[in-house]
Amino acid sequence: MEMETPTKRRRIKDLNFWEKIYVPEIIKGLALTFRTMFKPKFTMEYPEVKFEPTGSYRGRPVLVQEENGVERCVACGLCSRVCPALAIEVQAAETELEKERYPVKFEINMLRCIFCGFCEEVCPEEAIVMSKDYEMAFTNREDAIYGKDKLLIPVGKLQDRIGFLRQYK
Amino acid sequence: MPNINLDGKTIEFKQGQTIIEAARDHGIEIPHFCWHPKLSVSGNCRICLVEVEKMPKLVIACSTLASEGMIVHTKNEKVVAAQNAVMEFLLINHPLDCPICDEAGECKLQDYAYKYSVGESRFVEEKVHKDKRVALGPRVMFDGERCISCSRCIRFCDEIAKDPELTFVKRGDRVTIVTYPGEEMDNPYSMNTIDICPVGALTSRDFRFKARVWDMSSTNSICIGCSRGCNTEIWVRNNEILRLVPRHNEDVNSYWMCDHGRLNTFKNVNADSRINSPQIRKDGQLIEKSWDEAVNEAVSKLKLFTKEQIAVIGSAYATCEDNYIIAKFAKTVLGTGNLDYIRHIDPSFADDILRTEDLTPNSLGAELAGIQPSKSGLDIQGILNAIKEKKIKALYLVEDDILEAFPEFENAIAGLELLIVHSTNHNRSTALADLIFPAATYVEKNGTFVNVSGVVQRIHPAISVVEQDRALDGMSMSRLDKFGTKWDRWAAGKKINALPTWKILTSVAKAMGSKIKFNMAEEIFAEMANSIDAFKNLDYDVIGELGAKVKSEISNNVKVS
Amino acid sequence: MSILEIVIIALIKVAVVVGTMLVTVAYLVYFERKVSAWAQNRIGPNRVGWHGALQPFADLFKLVLKEDIVPDNADRKIHALAPVIALLVALSTYAVIPFGPDLQIGDYNISLIVADVNIGVLFILALTSLGVYALTLAGWSSGSKYSLLGGIRSSAQMISYEVSMGFSVAGVLLLSESLRPVAIVESQSGWMWNAIVQPIGFITFLVSAFAETNRLPFDLPEAEPELVGGFHTEYSSMKFAGFFLAEYANMIMASAFIATLYLGGWQIPYIEKLGLSPILETLLCFGGFLLKMAALLFFFLWVRWSLPRFRYDQLMNLGWKVMFPLSLINIIWVAVLIMIFGM
Repeated sequence: MEMETPTKRRRIKDLNFWEKIYVPEIIKGLALTFRTMFKPKFTMEYPEVKFEPTGSYRGRPVLVQEENGVERCVACGLCSRVCPALAIEVQAAETELEKERYPVKFEINMLRCIFCGFCEEVCPEEAIVMSKDYEMAFTNREDAIYGKDKLLIPVGKLQDRIGFLRQYK
Repeated sequence: MPNINLDGKTIEFKQGQTIIEAARDHGIEIPHFCWHPKLSVSGNCRICLVEVEKMPKLVIACSTLASEGMIVHTKNEKVVAAQNAVMEFLLINHPLDCPICDEAGECKLQDYAYKYSVGESRFVEEKVHKDKRVALGPRVMFDGERCISCSRCIRFCDEIAKDPELTFVKRGDRVTIVTYPGEEMDNPYSMNTIDICPVGALTSRDFRFKARVWDMSSTNSICIGCSRGCNTEIWVRNNEILRLVPRHNEDVNSYWMCDHGRLNTFKNVNADSRINSPQIRKDGQLIEKSWDEAVNEAVSKLKLFTKEQIAVIGSAYATCEDNYIIAKFAKTVLGTGNLDYIRHIDPSFADDILRTEDLTPNSLGAELAGIQPSKSGLDIQGILNAIKEKKIKALYLVEDDILEAFPEFENAIAGLELLIVHSTNHNRSTALADLIFPAATYVEKNGTFVNVSGVVQRIHPAISVVEQDRALDGMSMSRLDKFGTKWDRWAAGKKINALPTWKILTSVAKAMGSKIKFNMAEEIFAEMANSIDAFKNLDYDVIGELGAKVKSEISNNVKVS
Repeated sequence: MSILEIVIIALIKVAVVVGTMLVTVAYLVYFERKVSAWAQNRIGPNRVGWHGALQPFADLFKLVLKEDIVPDNADRKIHALAPVIALLVALSTYAVIPFGPDLQIGDYNISLIVADVNIGVLFILALTSLGVYALTLAGWSSGSKYSLLGGIRSSAQMISYEVSMGFSVAGVLLLSESLRPVAIVESQSGWMWNAIVQPIGFITFLVSAFAETNRLPFDLPEAEPELVGGFHTEYSSMKFAGFFLAEYANMIMASAFIATLYLGGWQIPYIEKLGLSPILETLLCFGGFLLKMAALLFFFLWVRWSLPRFRYDQLMNLGWKVMFPLSLINIIWVAVLIMIFGM
């Protein structure tokens, strides 16, 4: 985006007579709002109409689930370490798979999450990405802690974001 | 003393020291993977290359003896280029699996990659693949790909554990480590190889993938596996001990500790058998009570017996402070001389490396603190016989399991009219107890132990019990402890409702009208230093993290066993 | 007419005026939100009822259900009294506003005014001055620095702008030679609206009316960004609703007063020449009055969503250095009209 060229600050002594008595300026302002009243509205009528974000949108963080149903995450804990809000808790355990380590517990406290995307940025496995989901509502603190059941999303549904990351990260 | 010139600084060295040792004595670190101060020099990692003037090429600081007038450069362009080259070589076949590796965060290779490498590799070919997840022994896991072939583990088994089990096989980039055919790495010190492994090639099967090092806090402590009192660090996350590692103390354990101490001395702390509240037996059932109720119960029951009918058993597992209060409680409050402690001696456990035959950490300290029968009083055997003869009707048992030690007296002890027990966990004795006080374990309190050679050493609380607060009580805190709230599951670890024995006893004593009053363990130790010759001139500051000797002639006179 | 009939008619009038007032206030809030939305390319409330038409009642319902919180160090009695004063003052002023010419129903000649008193204008000025007590007391009794600052500002603002307001009205009174609102309306027959005859007075009065009703750009007593709500920071539930209703009631009142003083009241110019039946004419006049009020109310809302708030010194400058001299000039202008043109 281009920076606007800074305008020279105008002082009261620089104003001409009409500007000094305000009235024409006030009328100009009133005219502007009056015209605006008849312009098309921007409001999206949620929940009937929903905003569909682009790949650059940072919704709630989710875990990528491979096509074979296994998570990419190896529970290295870097997301947990980098999280400025300490929203992420990871407990690793051993599996028989080739990647010997997996998260037996992966919890994101959505009340703590600030959607900064650091977890996604630090992840060495592209295992945690920011989704397009912005609809989160809870009625108690416990519900706000998302476990693996809510976090695992099939990789097919996250292509937009992964494509965006590969292009810009 | 002869001198060498190291990076323009003149430093003294002792005859026979290598450059790396001389530098280390003056606080200058020369990078090293394979060199270890307690192991022989093998000189195979090459990261300690330094330039010595008038020598034709760079030399390795770990095996080059310092000599008078030597001019050594450790940071010049040539050396830096060599270090970078060595790092690049080491990283050629080292897998990029730090996210999976347990060593991440305390890995020498990681650290040096930041410090001594430019972080670029020209290697585009496929890395060599070797065996991963090889169980070298019951406690140690080996990952061949991560190994940088420094041979520290091999030399440790040969030289320190005196039990050669490991060797290199194959050549070149296929070199790997195996146990000798038909053997496995099961020597009692095998897990020290995990600590000295500069990379994540050797990992603990017990601790495997349990936690990241940066999520834990570490607290200096003492191993209670035997009377050696090896210095340890307790690594804690979310109020749960996840591992013990040895701490360097040249006077006690050097860099090492045995696998038994490392694995078996903390598991009871978070076990289900922990006693979580004072308990009173009513109609054969143990009922949880408040501290006040339990103390009042103890007082009213103890008052029913005469001095001769009561015996007190101190503990070689408890701290000196605890035992001092036990002795004081027995002598001044109960007025009984029937005071002793239970010895746990197992000659088969001892070896000539670290292990001792005494399986308790503080029998010397218990005796010094006054756990001895008075002239007319009964010792442990006397107490047991008196119980059998029903001359002693009330027993106050502190932090030990008398039935485990003397199973043959089960009926006699069951016949006691009153059995009060301080215990950390449920055991055979608590099963018979009329009143149980939950005692804090050694990782939950301040105090001192006196080891087999008379060194007083400090323990610090690493786990918080209900009455403590990590921040307010100055306990070591991890990042999670600092920023967690009670709403965070990762900061809401279980807290046991237990108290140190000395605290329980002072409140019982107070309820019985005694003036014994202490606010913290340090005050007790101060009084001990005043009243007990062996502890003269000692305090917690003098003891510090590395301990201090009690007066030797006294400790030599005390005979344990 | 017997006394009883007069009392009954008066009571009916009061009931009708107050009832209509409250409904109007409710819908004024609704339109405020709609206008603000339109001015910002939004839709505005549209969920409760048809196009959100029941929104004001939902708002009210919410306010009624809310917990009434009184700060610990508030003066509880005065704290409770303040919103009552505000509402009382706001509603009482309607008594002297003439909504239309007399209405002939059967034998009864009903004037569309609750109380046709001789000193109507003075009554209104007096009551609006009393209104400031509500805000000042609210600010004082809340025991909060924000509220106190809001209350003090409110007093200062009222005093400053009452001066120019009073002098502006003086111009109107000079022309009508009466303090009776009905007389003032009748003096503006045809196109002799005071707004046209004495435009300076009209403008100063209009601006002062904005200031007196605490509407933006003169809402310094409640200035959210700096005083977090000013005098009503510590009010909640129905007490807050009291202030809220009073503000809007004041606005309607101000519109009615401006229409009466400057826009010819209920009069529609030259309507009598059309020769309509008296009842129809009366109703048309009444409608005309409502139309004038509605236009003024829209103007109130429109200004609020167009102009930013004054800084405190600007407010005082404007009040004393601009509005006050202008209103004096207006009096001279009116005097000249009377002396020279003999109006």
